[in-house]
This record gives sequence, C-alpha cells and structure tokens, in this order.
Amino acid sequence: MTPVLSLRDYALHYDTFTGPVRILDDISLDIGRGEVLGLVGESGSAKSSLANAVIRDLPGRVHDEHGTIKLTGDDISTLPEPALAALRGRRIAMVFQNAATTLDPVQTLGDHLLETLGRHTQLDATGRRARAIELLDMVGLPDPTAMLDRYPHEVSGGEKQRVVLALAFGCEPELILFDEPTSALDATTAATLLDLFRDLQARTGVSALFISHDLGTVAEIAHRVAVIYGGRIVEEGPTQTIFAAPQHPYTQALMASLPRPSDGKLARGLATSGARPAPRRGEMPPCLFSASCPHHLPEVCDAQRVRPVDVGDRQIACARVARGETLPAPAAPAPLVSPRTTDVVIEARDLSVSYGNRSLADMLRGRDGAVVRAVRDVNFRLHRGETLALVGESGCGKSSLARALSGLRGFTGETLLNGLPTAPDSAAWRARVQTIFQNPDSSLNPRHSLATILARPLRLFRPDLSRAARSAEIERLLERVHLPGDYASRYPHQLSGGEKQRVAIARALAAEPDVIVCDEITSGLDAAVQAAIVRLLRDIQTSTGAALVFITHDLGILRHVADRVAVMYLGEMVETCEIAALDAAPWHPYTEALLSSSHSVDPGSDTRRVRLQGSLPKRTEDLTGCPFASRCPRHIGPECDSLRPPLRAPEPGHDILCHLSDAALNEVPPIWQFKTSDTTRTTP
Amino acid sequence: MKTLRALLRNPQGAAGLVLCTLVLFAALFGPAIAPNDPETFHFGARFAGPSAEFPLGTDWYGRDLLSRVLVGARSTVLLALLATFIGTVAGALIGVVSGYLGGVMDEILMRLTDAVMAIPSLLFALMILAALGSSALNAVLAIGIAFAPGMARIARSVTLQVRSLDYVAAAKARGESLPWIVGAEILPNTIAPVIVEGTIRVAFAIMTLATLSFLGLGAQPPSPEWGLMIAEARDHLFRSPWPVAVPGAAIALVAIGFNLLGDGLRDVLNPKTGDHA
Repeated sequence: MTPVLSLRDYALHYDTFTGPVRILDDISLDIGRGEVLGLVGESGSAKSSLANAVIRDLPGRVHDEHGTIKLTGDDISTLPEPALAALRGRRIAMVFQNAATTLDPVQTLGDHLLETLGRHTQLDATGRRARAIELLDMVGLPDPTAMLDRYPHEVSGGEKQRVVLALAFGCEPELILFDEPTSALDATTAATLLDLFRDLQARTGVSALFISHDLGTVAEIAHRVAVIYGGRIVEEGPTQTIFAAPQHPYTQALMASLPRPSDGKLARGLATSGARPAPRRGEMPPCLFSASCPHHLPEVCDAQRVRPVDVGDRQIACARVARGETLPAPAAPAPLVSPRTTDVVIEARDLSVSYGNRSLADMLRGRDGAVVRAVRDVNFRLHRGETLALVGESGCGKSSLARALSGLRGFTGETLLNGLPTAPDSAAWRARVQTIFQNPDSSLNPRHSLATILARPLRLFRPDLSRAARSAEIERLLERVHLPGDYASRYPHQLSGGEKQRVAIARALAAEPDVIVCDEITSGLDAAVQAAIVRLLRDIQTSTGAALVFITHDLGILRHVADRVAVMYLGEMVETCEIAALDAAPWHPYTEALLSSSHSVDPGSDTRRVRLQGSLPKRTEDLTGCPFASRCPRHIGPECDSLRPPLRAPEPGHDILCHLSDAALNEVPPIWQFKTSDTTRTTP
Repeated sequence: MKTLRALLRNPQGAAGLVLCTLVLFAALFGPAIAPNDPETFHFGARFAGPSAEFPLGTDWYGRDLLSRVLVGARSTVLLALLATFIGTVAGALIGVVSGYLGGVMDEILMRLTDAVMAIPSLLFALMILAALGSSALNAVLAIGIAFAPGMARIARSVTLQVRSLDYVAAAKARGESLPWIVGAEILPNTIAPVIVEGTIRVAFAIMTLATLSFLGLGAQPPSPEWGLMIAEARDHLFRSPWPVAVPGAAIALVAIGFNLLGDGLRDVLNPKTGDHA
C-alpha cells in the first residue's frame, strides 16, 4: 500500500547572509495509513523545519532543496502555489503549538470552521453549519451550537486547542502535522487533549506526524518514533522498542537524561552528557554525532558518510551499530544526595498575594474592585540545604509566591529570615535570598557583558571587595557554574540557552545567599541541559548549604532536585509532603491527576489514567468550599462545595487539604505499574 | 570606535555616515570652500544653469547657488541638529521615567505631553517664539520642545515593553537604585528606536526651521538658510527650477543621509545583530 507521506533523500539548505546553512538532509521516512509517527529532537534539531517542508511553507530563502515528498503517491515538492493552497487544509492539516495565536481573535470560532469548510468542501451553508457543530461536538466541546458564536478570547486555552483540532479534522485530511501541539498547555489539559486525539485518530484513521521535544508525550501517542539530530534522522522504529532499548548513542544519551516516574524507586540519576549542536555549515563530518559520541571509533565511523540502515526492527544511522555491534547505553549516575539539615532559614506565615485594583468608578461608588487572590494563606518552612518544590499548573500562584519571596510583589502575612521577622523588600532579606528567573533570555540584560551582570550583585552585597578581587570573583563564579572564566567579556546573545541559565545561577550565587528562589528555571531547556542544571544546583547546595525554592510545573524533574514538595492549586497548598511520598498513596486528588498526566517514558510501565473534567472557578470568586471541588474526580458530596476542607496528616510531615478521610486517601490505587524486569539498564 | 567600525561594515550605515560627514564638512568649512561669494549679484547671469563658473547655476539675482548652499549649511544643519538633540534627550528622559514609574506619575506626564501634542508643532513653535522673542536660538528651542512629546511617546512605549522583562525585575529584586535601573537597565534597551526616530526628525527640523524663516521668525534674507532659499525662490519657479531644486536637493540629501545613518545605527546598536565579539 502507498504510504500517506513518503520522503526520499530529502535535503534542504537555506541561504543566509553568512552563506548556505544545512537545515535537513538525508531524510527518508514513510508514514502509513492510520499511522502516527512521532518526531522527537532537541531545540535546533530542525524538527519544525521538516513540518514546514512537508506543508510546503518554507520560512527561509531556499539555497538548495532536493529529494521527493510524496503525499499518497503524488509528489508535492514541485507543486505550484495554487495547487498547494487547494491541498493545505484539505489533504494536509496542521496543528501548531500555540492555539492562542493560531486562531484569529476577531473571528468567531464558527467563522474559522465555516471558512475552512467553505473553501474545501461542496457543502451548502446549512450543511457547513451542521458539519461545524458536528466537529465541535466531536472534539468534546460542551454546547457546540453556542461555541460557534464565541470568540477565541472567550474560551480557555485547552478549548482553543480543541477548536484547532476540529479545524484540522474538518475536511478529513489524509495527514495531520502536529507541531508541539500540547507544549503550551498545562499537564492535565494536555493529557485530556492527547486522549482526545488518540480517540479521534483511531476513529478516523488519519495519519499523523507528531513533532515534540517531549519524549513522554510521543511515547503516549506515536506508533513509531523518529529521533532527529542536527537535521538528520538518527534512529527510527517502533515506539515500544526504541524506548525500551535505544541503540543509537544519541538516542541513548537522550533517554538517559530523561526523568522517569520509577527513578525514586530505582535510585536512578540523570545523565548530563548532552549532545553538542550538530555542525550546520561547511564540510560535514561523516557522522554528525561523532563530536559528542562516547563510542566514536575513527577507523569505523569516519570511513564513509554514515547513512540510516536497517537494523532489526528499525533504521539507525550509526556505523558501529550497522556492523552488528551493540553499543552499551551510558550508565545512569548515582542520584544526588541532598545536604538538607533541620534549621529553618525562612518561614512564611499566612502569606497571601492578591491582584486587582480599584478603578476610579469603583472608588466613587464606594465599592471594592474585583480582586484575584493569587496566593492564599500559605504557610511553609524552608530548612538550610533543603529544596522545597512548588508544583502546580499555570495560575496556581506559584510564580506569585516566588515574586512575593523576591520582594517584587506586595503581600499580607509574615516572613521570617533566620527566625527574625524580615520583609522581603528589605536589604537584609535581599542579601540572603536571591532569585533566578525562568527565561534567561529576558533575565539577562542584552546590553550588559557577563562581567557587568555578575559585578552588580558583588558591588551591592559584597561592597568590601576591591576592584581586582571583584574580577577574580567573577571568574571564580563563572567557573563555579562550569563556564570558562574568559566568558566575562561576552554578551548574553553569544551564549546558548543552558549557558545563559548558568550565568543567571552565577549571578544568584554572587551574593552568597542562604536561599535561592528558582522560578521555572529549567522549563525552556532540553532534557540533558536540564539534568546538568539540576546537578549543578545540587552541587552548589552541598558546597554552600543554600536552600532552594524550586518552582516548576514538571513533575518528572522533581525527583532529582527536590526534598519536599508543595502542590499548589488556585493559590493554596493542597498537599505538602516528602518527595518519596509522591510514589505511593495517599495523594490529594489533584496531585493524583497531575501525576497521572505527566507522561511516563518508563519502558513497559502502565499509567492509570486520571483526567480532570469541569472548569476552573472564576479567579475573583470567593470560594466557600474546596477550590478543587469543580474538577475533582473524587468529589464526595455537598461538603466539598460548601465547606473549607480540613488539613489532614495521613503520616507525619505529609499534609493534605481534603474532605476525604485518611483511610479513603490511603486506599487510592497506585498510578504506575512498573515492569520489574527492566532494571538492567538503570542500576547505578 | 567599535560602533564606528561596525557602522562602516553595514552598507546603509556606511552610506549614511559618508553623506552625513559630507554635510557636516560643508557645515563647518562651507564658507571656506565656497567658490564665489554667496551674496554677490551677477546680473549678467541671472537664472543661469550649471556652468563652469556656477556649478549649480544661479538664482534670480545671479547669486551662485552652490556657494549659497555651502554657506547656508552651517545655519541650517547645525541648528536642526541642535533642535533635534534637545527634543530627543528631553523626550527620551520624560518617556523612560514616565514608563518606568507608571501609575499616577505616568498619567500626569503623559497627559501633559498629550496636551502639547494636541497643538500643531509649528503653532507651538510660534507660541514659544512669541513668548521668548524671535531669534535663531529661540527657534531651535521651540522646535526642540515641540519634538519632545513625540519622542516621549516612543520612549515610553519601548520602556513599557522593557519594564516587564525579568532583568528589570532582577535589578529590583537585588535592590538597585532608581538611577541605575532607569539609566543602565532600561535606557540602553530603549535607545535604538529613539535614535532612529531622532535621525529621521532632523529632516523635519530643517523644514520647520525653514518655515519659521519663511514666516520671518527665523533666518532673515539675504541669509542663505536653505528653507528661506526655497521660500524665496518659489516666486521664480517657472523661470528656472535651479533656485528651488538645489536647496531642495540639499535638504533631501541631509534627510536621506540621516535616515540611512539611523537605520545603520539601529542595526549596529542592537547587540543581537551588531558585532561585539
């Protein structure tokens, strides 16, 4: 049978000011009817360029393009623009990462659908409308008729992505390209969306190319996986076997740096050996990965250009594997030991943050404006050398709490530093508590050299340093975060994402702080870089005894960095516990859903599905009951909606804010079933 | 120096730099290099076209246009530059401070600039000249003040974007002082659009100065100020195009030069495209 999508020896080079750049080459792949091919790669691996090439919408100036792209037998790589316009949306559809910018804000959701249907189908007006309603119903949107007249800003992010999905399925295309469709969504929303896609895919039998940097997501959805590195596919084969036994050294390194749910149980650490960016210009080495490969044998690997060959159930671009060798995967390093102690560094009592302002009209009418309570009566203690993770989805108040702790946002309640009441905007607090922000692109001033960036905190917090001592200290700080000392004269844009985040860490270390607030600092980073940053943080904690407040939405990495976890939902800490307690019941029902939604790449493991229905309450509402009541899958009755839940302590040091009794919480079945046989590759 | 070298590597920047250097050279040494006296009448050669004696022709009194343009460069270009500089610096400071502080201060400053912007800039300049008395320097001041609100708007809108970035939050969280945050964190990141707008405004400043001269509030005949030359030559446009075309081309050349320089500077000043390595 003809594959739906078939690429043969496809290569793409762009022209830039500084000469031609290789984007993709040697790409050969097939997607059969009803098959989902997952394409995974790190940032800069040109995975999105492949989708752009397939939909024939290339953003750059093409220097050279060759090879064929066939859609069910028709070569589309040479089609003129009008023919492509008729093709896109009808035979190939695309789902982009960000639904918020995919949908036109001045058109209703219905207009989007009716326009697509009007363009590509013969339906009359009533037929189109009926089909639009049918589509919205198909993607699980409540009240589809009313939805037609809504504008994109009137629905939530998850609902927008559902509409985009409806658009993609609208004309029953042969192929749908997904470019990171769930990356911008919260884990629980992403999980329901993936479920929906899997269901629709099974029903319609559409083929799909599913691009993602998140191997967990791909493991959930794809039948086959292709791993792309530097614009070439290095390994391609069935999802199950690739995840269980990766053979290409790059895939092996990638898998070794990914956190898994079983890590806590198996005491598996994360490998930090990331691949260097592949060369893009000039003469290519015979194997692109050779510069970062631990198994590089010049006489084998550099003999001739390495191309993908059939090895067993998959295709692998590795000269040594092609000879029949089995390369050992890197051994997982031992997990990092926490230097935690029991003296309290900072303590927060009844800390609340609220947003909102009284407008002039409200003031004249003598009433209060709408107030959003971002953080609500939060209490916690942080011990020296400990990492407290704050976990939750967007809008749960974790960043507001971080801003309050950094002295950037006013709050009510009390904060204590080393036992003394201290305000976060006081000089004493600022000298002891430092913040690292999520995005190093925006947290480092592009106009300042690294020397200036690092000199400022030294000048402010260690004024006794002489000029010479300061530049020596800058060099030492850079080396502390494993950057060469001569980077001091560089500017942030000359650094990679991971390097930038290291500079941000060095800046926080300059003050020799007791506490570092890390606000989603690993979110934008590739897995290996993330693992390296986490290891660096642990090292720093061990040598300086600093405590960390580690804010994240990613539960996977927690097991490698945190000692205790606080799960936040709508501004409240609904559960606080030791990190190991996450591996088994009891859980708060929200934690349970969150854990179930974070995708497992454990080979052969089974994840019990807990999906959240219902919608979030309005942020300005003053809730009388439990904040989670509207979406709780373990809702037990009217008390959930009307009474504040009590704080339960099913075991010492484990607090859960829930109406469920301790016994009921303890009886919740486990989320993961692991195949115990697969421990060979993960023993330290 | 580094900026200059980067500017020369940038094609637009290099062209702009060359043009602006020529203009500044004329402004500084114009009287010395002018081939004829700008105010001597040559009645035998009225409305002459370009010739060896008068390279760019003559006007209705037979005055040498090249010499007039060269001599007039000083009053025209230097005054325009000064006016733009005053407007840019004042506007950028108001805009950045207003954007950074936000709240009530922002409201007050922006409503004041709105009030100034509501008055046409020429009318506003006339008002200031009426209050201060007419002189070339007062005209410069008037144009500078009239330009400031537009600059303030641009600087403020860029500041609003920059203000929400984390490096400003990081500076605040470290407890940096207001002058450092505004001067070192925000201003360098807002300066590029301000400079680009400023260089474009030089041409406007020349035109406004010319208009003021035309109205009798700036330069006075027989001064070879470019705007005044155009204004005077209007009456003779149908007898010979040269008296209008030559100062017009000079103004256009200055405008193009500064625009190109502005574009070049924008690229060079951007640390992401400029070469600091």
